[in-house]
Amino acid sequence: MKCLPMFFYMICAKQLFSAALFAETPKIDFVHEVVPVLKKHCASCHTNGTYKGSLSMDTREALLKGKAAIPGNSKNSEIIKRIHSSNAEDKMPPKGSVLDDKEKQILARWVNAGLPWESSFSFKIQAYMPPIKFRPVSLPAGNGHPIDRLVNQYLQGGKSMPLKKIGDQEFYRRASMDLVGLLPTPEELADFAVNGDSQKREKLVAKLLADKRAYADHWMSFFNDILRNEYKGTGYIDGGRKQITQWLYPSLLENKSYDLMVRELVNPKPEAEGFIKGIKWRGNVNASQVTELQFSQNISQVFFGVNMKCASCHDSFIDTWKLDDAYALAGIVSDKPLQIFKCDKATGNYAKVRFLWPELGNIDANASKEKRLEQLAGLITSPENGRFARTMVNRYWQRLFGRGIVHPVDVMANKPWSEELLDYLANYFKENQYDLKKLLAHIVASNTYQAMVDPHAEDISADTYVFHGPLIRRLSAEQFMDAVWMITGTAPAKMDAPLKDLPEATGPSARKLTRAVLVHSNLLMRSLGRPNREQVVTTRAEIFTTLEALDLTTGSIFNDTINRGAKNMLEQWKMKTPDQMVSDLFLRSLSREPSAEEKAKAMELLGSKPGLDQVADLLWVIFLLPEFQLIG
Amino acid sequence: MGDFPATRISTDWITIMKNHIERMKRLTARRQFLGEMAAAGVATLGLGEPMVLANESPLLPKATADCCILLWMGGGMAAPETFDPKHYEPFEIGLKADKIVSTFPAIPTAVDGVQITAGLENIASVLNRGTLVRSHRMPDLGSILHSRHQFHWHTGYVPPQTVAAPHIGAWMARFLGPRNPAIPPFINIGQRLEGHGESEELKAFTTAGFLGAEYGPFNIPFPEEAANSVQPAKGVTPQRFESRMARWRELAKSGPLGEKMSDFHRESVVRSMENAHRLLSSRDRDAFDIHKEPKEIYDIYNTGRFGQGCLLARRLAEAGARYIEVTTEYVPFLHWDTHENGHTTVENLKKQIDRPIAQLILDLEKRGMLDRTLVVLATEFSRDMMIEGVPGSAARDQSRAKSDVMLEMKHYGLHRHFTGSCSALLFGGGIKAGYVHGATAPERPLLVTKDPVSISDMHATIFTAMGISPKAGLDIEKRPFYVTEDAKGRAVEKMFQRSL
Repeated sequence: MKCLPMFFYMICAKQLFSAALFAETPKIDFVHEVVPVLKKHCASCHTNGTYKGSLSMDTREALLKGKAAIPGNSKNSEIIKRIHSSNAEDKMPPKGSVLDDKEKQILARWVNAGLPWESSFSFKIQAYMPPIKFRPVSLPAGNGHPIDRLVNQYLQGGKSMPLKKIGDQEFYRRASMDLVGLLPTPEELADFAVNGDSQKREKLVAKLLADKRAYADHWMSFFNDILRNEYKGTGYIDGGRKQITQWLYPSLLENKSYDLMVRELVNPKPEAEGFIKGIKWRGNVNASQVTELQFSQNISQVFFGVNMKCASCHDSFIDTWKLDDAYALAGIVSDKPLQIFKCDKATGNYAKVRFLWPELGNIDANASKEKRLEQLAGLITSPENGRFARTMVNRYWQRLFGRGIVHPVDVMANKPWSEELLDYLANYFKENQYDLKKLLAHIVASNTYQAMVDPHAEDISADTYVFHGPLIRRLSAEQFMDAVWMITGTAPAKMDAPLKDLPEATGPSARKLTRAVLVHSNLLMRSLGRPNREQVVTTRAEIFTTLEALDLTTGSIFNDTINRGAKNMLEQWKMKTPDQMVSDLFLRSLSREPSAEEKAKAMELLGSKPGLDQVADLLWVIFLLPEFQLIG
Repeated sequence: MGDFPATRISTDWITIMKNHIERMKRLTARRQFLGEMAAAGVATLGLGEPMVLANESPLLPKATADCCILLWMGGGMAAPETFDPKHYEPFEIGLKADKIVSTFPAIPTAVDGVQITAGLENIASVLNRGTLVRSHRMPDLGSILHSRHQFHWHTGYVPPQTVAAPHIGAWMARFLGPRNPAIPPFINIGQRLEGHGESEELKAFTTAGFLGAEYGPFNIPFPEEAANSVQPAKGVTPQRFESRMARWRELAKSGPLGEKMSDFHRESVVRSMENAHRLLSSRDRDAFDIHKEPKEIYDIYNTGRFGQGCLLARRLAEAGARYIEVTTEYVPFLHWDTHENGHTTVENLKKQIDRPIAQLILDLEKRGMLDRTLVVLATEFSRDMMIEGVPGSAARDQSRAKSDVMLEMKHYGLHRHFTGSCSALLFGGGIKAGYVHGATAPERPLLVTKDPVSISDMHATIFTAMGISPKAGLDIEKRPFYVTEDAKGRAVEKMFQRSL
């Protein structure tokens, strides 16, 4: 017999044997007697993904469902009949060594004993079991940044090369794009380069985060995506949707703590109720898509990385969530008792209100809806709920590094590449009162964040992924538009979002523009990946497509912007030589000086006396460079 | 090395270097692979890229069509006013509404014994080339929202959905790819997506959804301007464009990010730019310019935007597009969305669609392409003078010309949405010629009496003709998502020339 899985020994050590159902039958030791027999003779055909004759013996439930045994009645149990059969048609096992008498007796005794089973045991190789509560982390010795100490330990464990740190200009561009979504100006870059302060990176981060307006503008896209908030869209036509802009934007401006934000979303005042109200289309809706189930799905996905979409219709085939679980959450927001529908057919059963993880607490089913929502908000953000913190720190890590510690970010049951790092960040987040800016500053201050991108990253979806620094990331549609508008001075005059009396961004005037996130999406932004927000969107596509290339090449929106931009640039560049123009544009767009070779190429486009066409050509070329469109 | 304690990195330096070298080797292999992929125009390294389901081959062994053209009658084309004539009553002041079933008389067609309605004489003359479906039937979704039914027809799924459902054209782009690498596989002609009451809902299904933008529609709202969409933006001459591309190529290669060239992001930028350049500099782009068509042919098609769209579709089909949709354009209360003044509106619409559709069929036939080109005409539902939705539906009556008797011309027409039956046409691509599928009741309510065809089955028929299994699907968020809802669509065998 091959080795038993690790958790098996743990069970033995704790002597956790099921009590037999019938007192008079001789006791049977499931773990030590039964499992070895099943493993030897049955497991290869009937467990862990192989289910010949559609019989699964993974669990007691599966065995009973397959009608292989009748508890307490070995004589009439198929499994016992088959192991005694000599008929080639139905004997078990069909090939190979038959059971010896002792083994046959063990199974018969087991059936007669009522099929006792160790409740946590399954023949199915257990996937990773993610913890729900917080877990303490012991940091490796040393005095570096805690993230670096953990990552160092991880890299050495994998015998990987240490990470290399990036230079000041690269850091400025990356941090500015990540924290406020804007490019640095040439003047800011120059000041930073000559600044001799050893703390200058930390100070820059603090300065960027202190720009309330720029920060809120940037992070609004992320929150609009995950909370599917949009200024126009499906559902509004019939009043079946409500935006939360007037709650969300101020929350970001004042850096409201994340747990408070979530409490205000789940148990909302009118200006924040859009999230739990969902999107209602005109007409009848499939039972699994009513707004109560949308609530269940969205709460699960956004706050916990749990997929409740399958379980909204039937017990999930992909994980352990059941139809009842989806309805248990949906029932919380329902105005009346919520009947359970399985695959759009009424079952006659009603949702039993409860929280995803009963070990964290309960919802009082008899309380009013308001009270239930308040209780739910409390459980989601409970100081015991480590899953809540882990899910969010993982989303932030994904934003800053291009891939989550757990991947994908919506499947938090997957194994993180470093449990310690995930736990550490979750603990940090909680200990700092769920302060999102502090979390960002903490991560950005690490050498791990400030490392060179991993140019060798192989398929990041693979289980074999190894962290070796941040990945190259593509600019979001909003970052791209903002960058183009900022460089060329072509931002729209007014925003479309229903907001007023906003503070101005701080810093150079070039950074005080109407940001793309606050205007309606258009064909260009859609093509660059700004989503419809029909569904919760937690990551944007990383692929640049042919249709985008065509839009940027042939489309009037981008072309008009370039032409207006060229005019602005020419005015600003009145006193500059083509040589200086190229340097200026490189600094503004790529945050670096051109090489001599690059300068020569660019100057070929400009000619000796650049006019509108020549400048437009240069802008087009620079804005379409991979280097411009990527965060390295 | 900054803050890293030296002892930690030197403990096993040789192993570290070995691992690094192994990694570089794997990387080199991957780079070569990526190079080949780029040539094939495929990118599979995105986040959460859907996986092909393991147990179902998406492709069928025998496609009967290589190209699909959908002629979309957006707004609800009334079957009794078009392809399923019923009792006709001419307009008369004082005429009772419930007496009217059709407002057009019937005319004969090229198929013996089969009639359609007056105003469609040209289509009648080519009806022997295709199948007329009279039993297409939509579900009752309660109160009617056109764009919701259109979403259903174009994706096979009723919104809302937990994942973004792909348009049928996107599925074809995903599973079949382009026929000609220079021509976008999914082209959408005639629909503006901005600036009217339901544009947000239209956008929700005019998309590749979870398949990713690469498979999304190439939108050409104005067919007359199609040529502009495949040439450098206004004012940029071919010489300027070539010089832009030349400098772009040089600068994209240089720069300090050389090592990052291997990254798939950069690969995808370079590949996409080269794809765009290929289209913009190829002769195939002439296909987009309907003014290159001989004048006498152009004039036959030129009944307006829809007619021009049909001409553009034919040219693109010739050039190698995979899926082309041409719409009469859905704008609330316009075109087929006749909440009032229905008869007059439909009379005008027929003038727009009749000649170009017939000419499209004849042109494809003349070029020997009809056999391998599936042309489908469809709409989201039919209309009726009296019934909103279906009998017994709780749908709110949205007719604007509510009158029990005809007092003025604007009362004359089919102003209520009817989902109980509607008509569709299928030509070419292995579909039977001169066949009528299904039937409806002779009197109101005009429900299907024979061979009902659901949206899933209609899609299964279209996909089957195109060589895509109705059970084909992809794994998204670990859940299977199929081209027809829950893989339940069944191709209507009777519509095919040969048995499946």
